[in-house]
Amino acid sequence: MSTILQVRGLQRRVGATEILRGIDLDVTAGEVIGVIGPSGSGKSSLLRCIAGLDDIAGGSVQVEGRTTRPGDGAIGMVFQQFNLWPHLSARENVALALRLVRKMPAAAAAEKAEAALAQVGLAALAARKPAALSGGQQQRVAIARTLAMEPRVLLFDEPTAALDPELTTEVLDVIRNLAASGTTMLVVSHEMGFVAGLAHRVVFLDHGQVVQTGSPREIFSEAAEPRIRSFLQTYLSRVAWVQG
Amino acid sequence: MMQALQDSLVATAQGLPVTLAIWLAAVALGMAGGFLVGALRFFAPWPLALPLAMAVEAVRGTPFLVQCFLLYFGGPFIGIDLAPVTAGLLALSLYGAAYFSEVFRAGFLAVPPGQLEVARMLGLSRPQAVLRIMLPVMALGVLPSLANLCVILIKETAVLSIITVPELTFRVQGVGTSTFAFAETLLVLALVYWALSELTAWGARTAERRIARALAA
Repeated sequence: MSTILQVRGLQRRVGATEILRGIDLDVTAGEVIGVIGPSGSGKSSLLRCIAGLDDIAGGSVQVEGRTTRPGDGAIGMVFQQFNLWPHLSARENVALALRLVRKMPAAAAAEKAEAALAQVGLAALAARKPAALSGGQQQRVAIARTLAMEPRVLLFDEPTAALDPELTTEVLDVIRNLAASGTTMLVVSHEMGFVAGLAHRVVFLDHGQVVQTGSPREIFSEAAEPRIRSFLQTYLSRVAWVQG
Repeated sequence: MMQALQDSLVATAQGLPVTLAIWLAAVALGMAGGFLVGALRFFAPWPLALPLAMAVEAVRGTPFLVQCFLLYFGGPFIGIDLAPVTAGLLALSLYGAAYFSEVFRAGFLAVPPGQLEVARMLGLSRPQAVLRIMLPVMALGVLPSLANLCVILIKETAVLSIITVPELTFRVQGVGTSTFAFAETLLVLALVYWALSELTAWGARTAERRIARALAA
C-alpha cells in the first residue's frame, strides 16, 4: 500500500515548552491509526499540526507527496466540540463549503449534503438546526460536513469526549463504518476499547514523543514500556473499579 | 392643575416627534458607527484599533451631559457652531456608537474560535468565514444587548433639553416653569418616558425574537 500521509520530524513549541519533539509517522491509504497517551502528551497538538491549524517549529507534513495547508481539501478534521454553525440547518452546515469552496450549484450541493447526512444516518433530520439535535447527532453532522468535502485523510480529535456515555456509541459506530469503508484516518480517543477494536496501528505518545507504535495487541497486551503499562493500568483500574 | 396637565399634554404632542426622530436617527447612526468601530477594533491592527479604543473610553468615561455641553458650547471655540438639534443628534449618536461598538466587539469575541477553524479547514476564505459564519453567529449573541441599548438611548434624549433641543423634556419642562406646576408636569413626563421605554422594549423584544428565529430557530 502507498503512503498517503507522511509526517517527518514534526516539532511544536509554545514559548520554551516543547509540545511535540520530532514526530515521524507514515500512514498508508485506508489505514486507521489510533493515537493514545496521557493528558498533555501532545495528541491533540499532533492532529492540529498535521491539519495545519497550529504553527510548527520544524518538520513537515505531506499528503500524497504535497505539503498541505488548511482548506486545500487534503485533510479533514472532526473536533471534540462539534463546532456546528448554529444559524444553519444540518443540511446547510454540510452544503455551505460545497457551494462556496467547490462552487457547486445550490441544488447539487444540497443533494450531496443529504447523501453525506444519510451516510451518518441523519437523512431524516437534515432540516433541523443544531440546537434541535442531540450532542451525538451534532457530532454526526460535523462528520458528514467533513466527509462531504472528500478529504484524503480524516482526523478525529477526541470525537466523543464532549458526549454523554449513551451518546458516544452512535458516533463510534459512524467512525467504525468509515474505517470499514477504507477511509484513511487518525483517531485520538480515550475510548481504549474502541481504539483497540478499530485501529490497524496504535501510536502511544508521551511528552510530545512517540513512545511506541504497534498493533493494538502489541500496545494494549504486550507492551513492556513502563509508561504505557502505567497509563493502561490507570485506565484499567478505573474500569475495574466500575466492575468491582 | 388641570390647566397644567392639559398644557403638558400639548407640550408632549409637540416634543414627542422631535424625541422620536432624534432617537431613531441616533440609533441608526450609532449602530452603524458602533459596528464599524467594533469591527475595526476587532480586525484592524493596533495602530488603528488603539485610537478607537481610547475614543470609546473617553465617551464611556464622561457623563453624557458633559459631552452635550462640550459639543454645543465648546464647539464655537474651535469654529464648530452647531444648531441645538444637530449638536444633540451628534452627541447622542457618538454616545450610542461608543456603547454599540463595545456590544459588537464583545459579539465578535464571543464567536467560538472552533467554528472558524472548521470554516478554515473546509476551505472557506477569510471574508467568506466572516460574512457567512462570524456575522450571523455574532448577531444572535448581541441582539438582547442591542435592544437594551436602544431603550437606554430613548431615555438619554431627555438630557438634550439642557442644550435647548425642543424635545419632550424641554417642552414639558417649559410648562412647569410657566405654571409652577412642577410635580404634575414632571409626573406626565415620567409616565410618557416610561410608556416609550416599555413600547421600545416590547418592539425590541419582538424584533429580537423574529431575527433570532430567522437565524437559528
